Amino acid sequence: MINVTNLTKAFGKNQVLKGISTQVDKGEVVALIGPSGSGKSTFLRCLNLLETPTSGTITIDGMELTNPKSDVARIRQRIGMVFQHFHLFPHMTVLDNITFAPIEVKGMTVEAARAKAHELLARVGLSDKADSYPSRLSGGQKQRVAIARSLAMEPDILLFDEPTSALDPEMVKEVLNVIRGLADSGMTMLIVTHEMKFAREAADTIYFLDDGKLVERATPELFFNQPQSERAARFLEQVL
Amino acid sequence: MKRNRIRIVHVSLIIFAFLLLSLGSATPGTPANMAYAASEPTVKKLVMGTSPDYPPYESVDAKSNGDIVGMDVDIAKAIASELGYQLEISGMDFNGLIAALQTNRVDFVMSGMSVTEERKKSVTFSDSYYTARNTIISQKKKAYDTVEQLAGKLVGTQLGSIQDQYAATIEGAKLKKLNKIADLIQELNSGRIDAAIVEDAVAVEMIRANPDLTMSFVPATEEDNGYAIAFPKQTKLVDDFNRALNQMKENGELQNIIDKWFEEKDAGENERSAFLNIDFRVLDGYVPYILKGIYVTLLFTLVSALLGLIWGTILSLFKISGIRPLQWFATAYTSIFRGTPLLVQLTLIYYATPQLFDFDIPALLAAGLAFGLNSAAYLSETIRGGIMAVDKGQREAAIALGVPYRKMMVRIIFPQALRHILPALVNEFVALLKESSLVSVIGVTELMRRADFVRASTFRSFEALLLVAAIYYVLVLILTSLARMLERRLRRSD
Repeated sequence: MINVTNLTKAFGKNQVLKGISTQVDKGEVVALIGPSGSGKSTFLRCLNLLETPTSGTITIDGMELTNPKSDVARIRQRIGMVFQHFHLFPHMTVLDNITFAPIEVKGMTVEAARAKAHELLARVGLSDKADSYPSRLSGGQKQRVAIARSLAMEPDILLFDEPTSALDPEMVKEVLNVIRGLADSGMTMLIVTHEMKFAREAADTIYFLDDGKLVERATPELFFNQPQSERAARFLEQVL
Repeated sequence: MKRNRIRIVHVSLIIFAFLLLSLGSATPGTPANMAYAASEPTVKKLVMGTSPDYPPYESVDAKSNGDIVGMDVDIAKAIASELGYQLEISGMDFNGLIAALQTNRVDFVMSGMSVTEERKKSVTFSDSYYTARNTIISQKKKAYDTVEQLAGKLVGTQLGSIQDQYAATIEGAKLKKLNKIADLIQELNSGRIDAAIVEDAVAVEMIRANPDLTMSFVPATEEDNGYAIAFPKQTKLVDDFNRALNQMKENGELQNIIDKWFEEKDAGENERSAFLNIDFRVLDGYVPYILKGIYVTLLFTLVSALLGLIWGTILSLFKISGIRPLQWFATAYTSIFRGTPLLVQLTLIYYATPQLFDFDIPALLAAGLAFGLNSAAYLSETIRGGIMAVDKGQREAAIALGVPYRKMMVRIIFPQALRHILPALVNEFVALLKESSLVSVIGVTELMRRADFVRASTFRSFEALLLVAAIYYVLVLILTSLARMLERRLRRSD
């Protein structure tokens, strides 16, 4: 579904991604882990062009995202993204946050968008918060709304950029449970995370990135029990 | 509810367009009064420029319909009727009269304007129609009767008046030039100047309105040039006018008009309270005239604020667009409009537009344009700051959802930026409201100019000023409380 070939990204002289090639299958759940500064988030942000790759190609369902002629907005609609700091629209209610893009971008009717939003809110366990403003929500609730907002666009792929890093510990679980539910429903997902236990349980594949390179790509069992590289072994030693 | 907001944007655009139109159609300056309303359209029209703050020559009939009346007006009407023209009167600031002649906004100027060598360089004068006597005005308790006594004293005159030139010849006197007769009165009353030189007709009125002052006529001299009608250099009218003027001199019609306006007025009603020398009774009858200025001031402020907001927003978008030519344009624009005086911009727009675009821009429209364009330069920086202050993540979230740029700016970024910049916006609008008094220069009869007319008509300095100050203050209070309501609404999501 997603094909990445020789992807590089440099910020000025700082080479952040040094040639990453991989492919993600439909319904695959990928957990990206690695030390900070290894390029995980940058890799994720390249996948919906929040960062423009310096070189290399990204193809999604045969459409080449990195081709300047591609209709980027259209491809982006198929890729949802959930951010570390949620980025809910503070001046809109929860319901408006969720229905905004379906109505304004997809042209959905207000009624349909609202019905969908209520359904999604029920799914993330926040049916009672539809009319609240984001400032009234806890971090965990905000992140669940953000997930619902992404889902409202009915994406084929969901990208999570450290979705629980900004949360108080007691709220991590509620968010991870929602993501786990999505994984079970067959959504294709790439998740940058520091939650090793979650990665181990929920992911189909672990990507270990270090210094801008995809160092290991393995099943959770293999990766966590028998890391192939010395760097991965050292990393796991530190975090587990 | 979503669609409603879009409709609100449309509606406000329509309102803005409507306001612009109403600015265009609102009567420029003082309502021009037609001398011969019923005449057929084949009659050619002559526009007379005048500064109606100099009774009895010309003043605004503020107690009735706000028309411009006075001796000059009557003489002009008589000449126009003699020559078969239809007369239209356009009121403006005295300092703008010559410019109005040179840009053909008016056909001739009659405004108690004296013939000077300086003015002769730019305009053509008719024969003089009246020669005024120079008069010394001073306080009763420290009166000066002769020019000789003024040696070593501080003497006030009205800038650009013939008395201004005359006073320069007084030996040993120090001069202080002021813009308005009402200013002279105030300086005299407060003792900042020892005496003032004005012309006889003005002096009589001054004494009548200010019982603490006294006057003394200066003997006439040969060099007095008197008042004349000014024309553009290339005019063909001057000979016709001179002929009509001569005829009026011979048949006594001119003297009749002069007598009508200069006749002794009863010096009764002189019992004014001495406390602070303020007596609001002098405004009796003038208040409705001043109050009507609120509409003009508000209309003007609203249009310039909206124009400034819309254009400023576009400029701020240019600045953050990342497109070089647009950025360059917006930066240069801001630099120029912030770097030159607003008064200069206003004057240029008003006087240059007819020559550049062959469009006779109404004063109020020119004023709204100048203030809007100027305000946009300041607001573009404010708005840019507000946009930059919105968390970068908001933009990313919108992009990730596939929201197009325009929609993202309008629906996601601006509403949040607005919250940050609202206090600064209110400051700007309050400033616009008060600075609107500047536009009286090109003859827009807003609050301040109306106050000036009334000051001129009453020969009193403080009362009208205090009244408009109070009006401005109330307007600003209303504006700020509206802004507070808006702010509360924007903050409901906190």
